[in-house]
Amino acid sequence: MATLIPTLTLSSTDATTDLLNFSITDSLNITQDVVGPSKIKLTTSDLEIGPTTYGKSYVYLKNTDDTIAINIEITDGNSAMQLAAGEFAFFPWTGASGIVAFSASGTPYLEYAIFEA
Amino acid sequence: MATTAQITITSADLMPGSALNITANTTLTKAGVTADLDQKESGVIKLVTGTEYRLGPLATEMAGDAHDIASYLYVHNKTTEDATYYVDWGIHETMIGRLYAGDWMFIPWNASDNDAEIEIEPQGGTNIIEYCLFNSDVILPTAG
Repeated sequence: MATLIPTLTLSSTDATTDLLNFSITDSLNITQDVVGPSKIKLTTSDLEIGPTTYGKSYVYLKNTDDTIAINIEITDGNSAMQLAAGEFAFFPWTGASGIVAFSASGTPYLEYAIFEA
Repeated sequence: MATTAQITITSADLMPGSALNITANTTLTKAGVTADLDQKESGVIKLVTGTEYRLGPLATEMAGDAHDIASYLYVHNKTTEDATYYVDWGIHETMIGRLYAGDWMFIPWNASDNDAEIEIEPQGGTNIIEYCLFNSDVILPTAG
């Protein structure tokens, strides 16, 4: 068993007059399979990066491209999110439905990791 | 409104001999452009178990076309740590994951149409959710 510590920091000096500056962290027990930090070239065709063989997991995604967006679907055809250039996501995933990635155009690279609890 | 987000993911014991240390940064912008987002909504809400709730607006409640309505969503389950308390979250009718007490998530949400709404459903008892939504233009409903 391993301990995973994700931390998010959000900050802004002008979102509101009340400065936005906070961090949230968590401590997660990872006991099953792990896809360590990986980087893969996408095309406009679907590529399953998270198969349904996983159970309760935590997913990290980052679009490493400077211009091209990456689409993420949970089960083929259900649009979940679009990672614009440089954007990232971190979310819990049940593994009940696969995670599919494809580019909006071209061949951007997606960095990803999956941690099964 | 320049808002930045940073994530770090660390582990000293996940992979023996190679400590995990991921860091990523991004500036929250409108979809496909470099302009800052205009609006922010945040709060803490208490949700009773067994009911599906919509978190955030529908696409038709936001101005602009799909290109302009990219949003970012942060959700933290503030419920006291208890493995039987969690919030199912998903988009429209697709359940994606379970946010257990103490867990958080951060996603760029593609609110492209009204069938892309964020749904949450507390389980196990009353859950307390902290959330923050950054987006472009939300249209307030007109008074009746």
